[in-house]
Amino acid sequence: MARKTHDVLSVDWIRLELLRTAYSTRGGLFSRLDPRIVLAWYLVMAIAPWLTHDTGVLLVLFALGVVSVVLARVGPLVLGLFLIGLLGNVIGLFAASFLFGGNLDTLVALAELNLKLGAVSMASMAAFVSLDPEKLSDALLWFRAPELLAFGVSYGYRMLPILVDEYVTVFEGQRLRHAPVERPGLLGWRVVRQWCVLAVTAFYPIMLNTAKNVRTTVEALETRGFTYGASNPAGRSLRLAYLRVSATDLAVLAATVVLVVAAFPLGGLLG
Amino acid sequence: MTTQNPPRPAEDERRGALRGAVDGVRSVQLSTSQKLMIFVLSMSLFGLSNIILEIIPDPSIGPVDVSVSYMVFVPLTIAALFSPFWAALGAPLGEIVFTDLLMGDFSGLAEVEGYLQMFLAVFIAGSLIRNPRSRPQIVLGAIILVLVDKVLSAIVDLAKVWIGVEDAEFVEGLPESMLALEVLGLGVDVVMSGILLGAIPALWLIPALHGKIEPLMGMRPRTPGEPIPGQAPASGVFVGFALLLAVASFGFAFLEAFDISAGSFEPDFIDRFGDWFIVVAIIAIAVVLGVAILLFRAAQRSRETADRS
Repeated sequence: MARKTHDVLSVDWIRLELLRTAYSTRGGLFSRLDPRIVLAWYLVMAIAPWLTHDTGVLLVLFALGVVSVVLARVGPLVLGLFLIGLLGNVIGLFAASFLFGGNLDTLVALAELNLKLGAVSMASMAAFVSLDPEKLSDALLWFRAPELLAFGVSYGYRMLPILVDEYVTVFEGQRLRHAPVERPGLLGWRVVRQWCVLAVTAFYPIMLNTAKNVRTTVEALETRGFTYGASNPAGRSLRLAYLRVSATDLAVLAATVVLVVAAFPLGGLLG
Repeated sequence: MTTQNPPRPAEDERRGALRGAVDGVRSVQLSTSQKLMIFVLSMSLFGLSNIILEIIPDPSIGPVDVSVSYMVFVPLTIAALFSPFWAALGAPLGEIVFTDLLMGDFSGLAEVEGYLQMFLAVFIAGSLIRNPRSRPQIVLGAIILVLVDKVLSAIVDLAKVWIGVEDAEFVEGLPESMLALEVLGLGVDVVMSGILLGAIPALWLIPALHGKIEPLMGMRPRTPGEPIPGQAPASGVFVGFALLLAVASFGFAFLEAFDISAGSFEPDFIDRFGDWFIVVAIIAIAVVLGVAILLFRAAQRSRETADRS
């Protein structure tokens, strides 16, 4: 049993999962939509929960978030991290206020905040898992976001799996060249310390490698006129010319708006 | 530690302020592509370190989280070796792009607040390091980085509870526990993030990389005493800009806490503050940000004219 969990939770699996997330290869409803519509959809879903304090309305919005996560086919890694974070938050805050003399009411008060945060996070998972880097950065450019932000997004999504891969290689290499600790000590603290030292020292070659990669990338970009092209209106319109809004896009957006608006009276009935 | 540090020079060689071309080819002023390189390097490395921390589980003793919130030595190294301004612009973006967007942890307006806090923290700490080989400066930089970031966010958190926008006073025992937790958390953060994963690795890494990583990016290593490359001018105008950014970050945090509720679903809220409160908050943020941008432009222009003369 222990062996099996170890296999599932390997670093390689995490890297593959990140790749699938970054390139949205799972398919799903939102990956077929126009990226600008997905961002608009995200804004609707992310702002709506902040407009209310009613637990009933928040429950409906939370359910909408669950539906969109299912439609977007969010992967197990992202979903698992989200659930751990949400549950950890609830339990931690509850324990804290219990220590200082709170009671079950505390949990109810905290439930509202966590429902709100959960609904917003699920909207962002569904939206950003479904957008591949190129589309997302084009949509950001269309909304007149700073060019550095648009570039950072597309570069980050592309480079992340490569960087993680490289880091794992360096880390494993360092580990192979080190003797294991002679005695693990109390609770294996020497093992933990060695891992921490290795994790930090692995940054030395990683920083040098990344510096080289970054120089290559940036010089290639600048040769093609990145800095000047991005701020040039003709270049911008050429780059964004392929974006089209179809009937499906509008239908999804309209349905979402209707559902979110309907959530308010519906939640009032529930609560 | 397999990598050996080059021997420290017996005495810091001070060359004074350099201007323009250094050895006929390379210049102290950063070129456009070098600025972009520093920005991208800082973004990807800080993002990578955040991903690694994301995979490691967060241990907590009782209600106090004893995890490491970020690897301080990564942005500190880049700020100390290259340019604090461009490193500070890139690092928080790396956190947002790599962990928050990809992991579905994106929290809207609070991200703006986090970005501004981290930007200020890295920029201030990086500017403190004038000599990348000075140990006291590195330790000071690491601790200041954590302190600026964490104190700013602790003040925001506490103020939210005191003003009562988070409805926490209805919950028995929550405000007191918040105060105690913030103070405890600050101490833990300084020890864990600032010293264990900040000062100690940076003390080894910054001198080890100094003089090795710069040629890979086509730059000349920094020498102590010369002005910080790509530096925003430390004039009064720029300090004003930084202060206004700090105020704006509070504004964003509060706007989020006020829930932009526009009043219709929260009659109690209206009774206490009135509709105007939200409008005032939004206008205040707009004015503060506008003034900040104007000041920044003015600072840039004055620097450009100073360079030309």
